[in-house]
Order: sequence, then structure tokens, then C-alpha cells
Amino acid sequence: MSDAITPLQLQGVKKHFGVTTALAGVDWSVPAGSVVGLLGQNAAGKTTLIKTALGLLRPSRGEAKIFGGPSWDMPAATKARIGYVPQVITLYPWMRVRQLINYTASFYPTWNDALASKLAMNWAIPREDKVGNLSVGTLQKLAIVLALGHEPELLLLDEPAASLDPGARREFLRTILEIAVDGRRTILFSTHITSDLERVADRVAILREGRIVYDGELDTLKDSVKRLHVTSPTPLPANFQVPGAVRLKIEGNEALVSVRDVSERLVDDIRRNYAATVGVQDLNLEDIFLELHHA
Amino acid sequence: MRPGVSIHVLPNSGVPIYRQLIDQLKAQVAGGRLPAGEFLPSVRQVAEELQVNPMTVSKAYSLLERDGVVELVRGQGMRVKEAATNGKVRREAILPLLKQVAATAKQLALKPEQVVAQLKPLLEDPRHE
Repeated sequence: MSDAITPLQLQGVKKHFGVTTALAGVDWSVPAGSVVGLLGQNAAGKTTLIKTALGLLRPSRGEAKIFGGPSWDMPAATKARIGYVPQVITLYPWMRVRQLINYTASFYPTWNDALASKLAMNWAIPREDKVGNLSVGTLQKLAIVLALGHEPELLLLDEPAASLDPGARREFLRTILEIAVDGRRTILFSTHITSDLERVADRVAILREGRIVYDGELDTLKDSVKRLHVTSPTPLPANFQVPGAVRLKIEGNEALVSVRDVSERLVDDIRRNYAATVGVQDLNLEDIFLELHHA
Repeated sequence: MRPGVSIHVLPNSGVPIYRQLIDQLKAQVAGGRLPAGEFLPSVRQVAEELQVNPMTVSKAYSLLERDGVVELVRGQGMRVKEAATNGKVRREAILPLLKQVAATAKQLALKPEQVVAQLKPLLEDPRHE
């Protein structure tokens, strides 16, 4: 079955624009059937990563593969298995919505008319309006409908929720979940809004300055990155260290330590070595994201 | 969702969603709101209702199965097991909270007797349900 093939894979991918390095060596793959949130600050390289993965940009070094074949040289049959919504949407402004949907459908033998109509209706996209007159949010919704109509196995969305209002964003996330529910599709979406990701993604990849600094299950990330509040009866030594600390702040008898991989043993060791009490604080994705950016 | 079962999740909490689901369902089983023989709502139902990834829900369900709280009945779903409502499971369900109480008590240098003395009236107060 095609599911066995990794939908998206990057090996040693670097991308330079002149003297600017957008991707500084990315080794990363997206497992089939997962919903992956690609998280990064502005200018972290998210768009470059997605475009390189899609073969819209050629890597300076390394290789990007889609469904096992090189992205740069993608056969039409592979393209038909992919849906993509770019960050900046350019559609034919002079066409009516209905015409554009029909036009797009004509490229795909597998086009699902019922699905496209249902989405367009749910999102109240006016079928007779000219595309050029649509609001940014509606345009984005239309682009998503066009990217979903052929029921792609791999869907890439670059900052899909950025220009949607809160209501439309919820609706969009609901749609993503509906699409993801059968586990047959792989979805990658980039965002800098952590709360979007926490609901729908089962995996998260964190991109920082052109490198993937975390890639794994969202649950595992939340289970492993914790903030420890250490309180000792005596002042903590200046060389107080905790293995795997991403951030450490010492003030007298107390220390705040964020660790990458918490374990009972780690906590017990601190308790024993410094005769300290240790409180373990759960962190949400936004906290974790910020902690990892301190490192 | 069927009456009896009530689940709320906070996606942006530091506690992973699957663990929020497990904790709440365990508590409801232990407390008898989900009696033995009852079926949990389907993965799809929960995912749609709570607007969370279905994989997260199935993960929670399979861990509940591993922990002996529910059993998979082919073609019907997850059924609450008889043994899940026994005292041991109920005691285990409250253990994480008690550990927190113990840790805080130590930090505050409270004696065990003092903590128990404070806890007892709370347990007996009908307003604390």
C-alpha cells in the first residue's frame, strides 16, 4: 500500500538565498496518516521548508522527497496526490467562484464534487461572486476548498489560519479534523499560533533559524518538557546544574529549571543532591515553544 | 455524547489531552458515573464533540484498556470492566492528588496529623462533592 511510503522526507536540506541561509540543514520526515504542526517564529524558514518539500524551490544542498520520489522532479501522478495552500493566495480574480471550482476540478479525474460543494456551502463562500471581490478570509477558505476537492493524500497548508477570524478558524480546524478522522491523509500545516496546533495536531515540529529543533508527538513533548521549581534549605551553589536543562535561573535558595526530558529519577537526584523540594510544573505548547527558544 | 459521560478538555493546558481524557474517564468509572458494562462513546464521537484529533482519543482509549479499566468488544467499542469499579482502582485514581498534597505539606512543614485533621472535615462536609 502507498501508506507505507513516507509522504514527505527531507535529507540534509539547505537552502540559501544569496548570503541568507533559510534552511541550515534539515533532516526531517512526516509519517503517513499524521497531522503535523510546523511551528516557528516569523522568518524561521517555514515557508521555504514547505516550498522546498513541494519542489517549488530547489534545495541548495540535500534532497527533498515526496512519496519516495524527488520533489524537484515530480511526475504528474504524484502531483495529483498533493494539495497545497500557499501563504499568499493568487487565484484568477476575474473568474466567478463557481467557475474557478469547475476549472480546478477539470484538472483532476478524482475530483469530489460533493465534498467541494459541501465545504463551499459550510463556509458560506458565495458561488456567483467574482474571486477578485472576495475578502482575504473567504479567499483563503476558497483556496482550501480547491486544495481539498481532489481528496489529496498529502495536504500542505502554509499558515492556513493566519487571515481567518476566530469563528472561521474554529470552523477550519473542524474541517481539518474531519479530513483527518479516517487517518488516510497526511496533513502538514505551518503556524505560529500554538493554540491551533494543540487541538488538531498529533505531531509537532519546531523550526528555529532554519533547523528542526524538535520533532515528535505533541503528547510526548508535553510529557517531557517541564519546569522544575527547586527550593533548597541553603543557597544553591553557583555551579548548580541539571542535565538536559534548556533554561536555568538561580536565585539564592531557589532555582527555576526547564528541562527537556523530565524523569522521576532526575527529580529524585535533585532532591537528594541538594536536600531540596522540587515542584514539577506542566507547560503548554506556547510555554514550551518559548522555553526552547531561550536555549 | 450520551448522558452520564461528561468530558471537558483544555487543549492549551500543560497536561496532554490524552491524559486529561484518561483522568476524567477513570474518575467517572471509579465514581460509578460510568458503571461496569457501559460503553464509552466512540472515538469519532468524542473527537468530533471535543474537537480534538481522533488519534488522541484512541490513544487514551488504548491506555485505558491497558490499565484494565475498559475492554474492547469487537464491533461494539470499549466497555467498562467489572473490576474497574473496585476499591483498588478507586484508590489509585486519587493517588496523584494525594501525592501533590503530601509534597505541598512537606514544603509548608506541616505535620501529617495536621494535614489529616484539615482534610477530614472537608471529606465529611456534604457541600464538597
